[in-house]
Amino acid sequence: MQPLISLQNVSKQYGEKTVLNNVNIDIFPAQIIGYIGPNGAGKSTTVKILTGVIQDYTGLVTINGRDIKEDILGLKQMIGYVPELADLYDLLTPNEYLHFIGALYNLPDFIIKERSQKILQSFGLLENIDQRMDSFSKGMRQKVLLTAGILHNPSIVILDEPMSGLDANAVIVVKELLQVLKQEGKTIFYCSHMMDVVEKVSDRIVLIDKGTIIANDTIEALRDGSDNSLEKIFAKMTTSENLNETAENIAQAMQDK
Amino acid sequence: MNKFLLYIFLLPKALWKVLGADLPQLKAILKVKLMLDDRRPLTMGRAQSKKKPTRFMTVLSVFLSAVMGFMYSMPLMLEDKFMALWLYFSTFLLMLSFLLISDFSTVLFDTRDKTILLPRPINERTLLLSRLLHMFIYLFRIVVPMSLGGWIVLGMTQGWKAVVWFPLPIIMLTIIALFLVNAAYLLVLRFSKPGKFKDIINYFQIAFSMLFFVTVYLMPRVVESKGFQELQHAHYPWISFTPTYWLAATWSWVQQDKVWAATQWLSVLAIIGPLFLVWLTVKYLSPSFAKRIGNIDIVGLGETKAVNQVKVKQSRQSQLYIRLANLLNKNPLEKAGFSIAWLQTDRSRNFKMRVYPMFAFVPVYFFYMITLNRKRSIAETWENLSNSHTHILLLYMTSFVVMNLLAMLVHSDQYKASWIYYSTPIEKPGAVMNGAFKGIWVKYFVPIFTTVSCFVLYTWGLKSLLDIVLAFVNITLFGVAILRVAYRRLPFSAMEKMNEKGNRFFKTMFVMIFPVALGLGHAMADSSQSLWWMKILFIILSAVLLWLIWDSYKNTSWDEVKKVDLSS
Repeated sequence: MQPLISLQNVSKQYGEKTVLNNVNIDIFPAQIIGYIGPNGAGKSTTVKILTGVIQDYTGLVTINGRDIKEDILGLKQMIGYVPELADLYDLLTPNEYLHFIGALYNLPDFIIKERSQKILQSFGLLENIDQRMDSFSKGMRQKVLLTAGILHNPSIVILDEPMSGLDANAVIVVKELLQVLKQEGKTIFYCSHMMDVVEKVSDRIVLIDKGTIIANDTIEALRDGSDNSLEKIFAKMTTSENLNETAENIAQAMQDK
Repeated sequence: MNKFLLYIFLLPKALWKVLGADLPQLKAILKVKLMLDDRRPLTMGRAQSKKKPTRFMTVLSVFLSAVMGFMYSMPLMLEDKFMALWLYFSTFLLMLSFLLISDFSTVLFDTRDKTILLPRPINERTLLLSRLLHMFIYLFRIVVPMSLGGWIVLGMTQGWKAVVWFPLPIIMLTIIALFLVNAAYLLVLRFSKPGKFKDIINYFQIAFSMLFFVTVYLMPRVVESKGFQELQHAHYPWISFTPTYWLAATWSWVQQDKVWAATQWLSVLAIIGPLFLVWLTVKYLSPSFAKRIGNIDIVGLGETKAVNQVKVKQSRQSQLYIRLANLLNKNPLEKAGFSIAWLQTDRSRNFKMRVYPMFAFVPVYFFYMITLNRKRSIAETWENLSNSHTHILLLYMTSFVVMNLLAMLVHSDQYKASWIYYSTPIEKPGAVMNGAFKGIWVKYFVPIFTTVSCFVLYTWGLKSLLDIVLAFVNITLFGVAILRVAYRRLPFSAMEKMNEKGNRFFKTMFVMIFPVALGLGHAMADSSQSLWWMKILFIILSAVLLWLIWDSYKNTSWDEVKKVDLSS
């Protein structure tokens, strides 16, 4: 089967610093990919390349077998992107903001209106639709961002820490949403630090560290017969430090006179 | 400066201890608060660009207060000392109250106190004392430099007695100002929703910066005028009802003569009045004040319930922009740009702060320019206005507004939210940019230009119609040209005052020279009646040029936007 998204030998440098080093990933339709890695590993750079924000990389990125550089607009139309706690124009109301975003995707007004009302209603945010977002909590903003990300019915959804700030019930809704989207044949690229969630929802887990992919497999294969949690596997692969010892050092520091 | 103030105010250590304060904590809190004051942008002169990072604001604000103090100490030179003092105290009171209303709220309701200070082991006395001392230091930093000018002028003209006397009315005046501020805040809190509080304070700030440059530009002119110098307090009996008149009356303790003796009894009010206000504040205002501040705190922390939120009504006004957007734009991208420009400028306090004062700047600066010729009195200048060619100057003065408008169209403190343009399938960013430009053009430039045009038509008559059309085309041309040359960016996508490298000098020169050149060309065409055909030719040429530049701007491609992004 042809992969939907394919990164081949993708590298990216900022000046002297190599952020991505020969990254190869294949993503197939109707899959949830958990993309994990420590801070500064190159996760958001990968996401920015996939969303067409960064275009000066080396290597090849294809969607449906076509180089994305050939049709960057087509790519953006296919992708719904929800950045982590991203800035939004919070002086606007959700209604105004979503109409603005919808217009950028060239959606007709009536569709924007219908979809945004339905989605916001599901998130329990409909009564706030005409309130300015500058007084919204983190979770409320995140719900608006999620809505803005899926408003145009994208076939690929890229989520960067979508749960941050959400309350427990909203987390359940988003987790369920991922499954429903997958059943509809959508591909989901899910970046997160929340290992327990990634472990549960992902079909495949891709681990990146210092710009290099160090693991790319199903959770079962990563466990390799053991019953280690993803958290443990992650720690083993990305740090040589003994994390227990680190914690003890911190506790020790307070005792010192 | 801060170290010195901190040292002075912490000198009575024993006193603070007796009052129950923990000195090291008190010092730590005050130190941080003063440091924060130092880094907060000023209300005064905020209309100017802030090129440097905000630091040493205290020194700057002290300096600006002193300058302003000198400006309005000018009336003190008046022959009629009563009138002089009344005018001085009245302007002082007005300025101080406005400055405090616009700036004091950050000192009074620092919502961070709740999360940072309250959970720590600090006793109530320390907290209260730190607040009070902070307010005192704050006032001290404003009032002392502000009154410096008057002090010096009085000392030089009236001798040492005046120097000794002067602080008394100033202290009383500060008390009155504090009362007014308290009352103003309370009124705002009483009659507006908590969420709106900041918006209303914002309008006070705008009003203050207008007052500031009105004083700077017009005070010298007014003081010089003949009518002003002959002002007599006896001609205005109503002023004896104003508290600033009572303050002026305390002068009678220093200088005894017949005129003063008649009103000496009023000077008693100068003492009783403020004391009464203090009592009123403590007894009635403060308690209900504390209650209401609680509400603001909630909003500040963002932990709101739906009740407290500002609901944007889908009123007719908000429907207006949608109708206009549909009317003036062809494709959805343009419409999106139009709406975002309209809504964002409607609500951004920073935008209002920068642009609204400019509206007042146009008439004030025009008045300043036409009265530059000191041989003529103001009244004469005014009568001869319609024979002069100054209407062209006035029309082109609106390009000041344009400059600020366009800078604020691309710069925003919410520039980070513009990531959205890069992840959505926008074929030509020029379309969004074009829509945004149309949005603020219709919303701000057209109304102010229409207002100015009406004044021009009224004063100069129908013959100025051609000039109005030409100026309109030329200023629009100027606007599009600045956008094309200096601000070829997506709306609200640039950080404010980034150090733009490269051909900045060229751009600045262009922005400065271009409107002047257009205006001069226009003035030349206006120099003789027989040259009317030149204006028509000019209109056609400018319109063609406008069309060419506009076309290039609205077809801006991604590569071109990115080039600008990279170069800055």
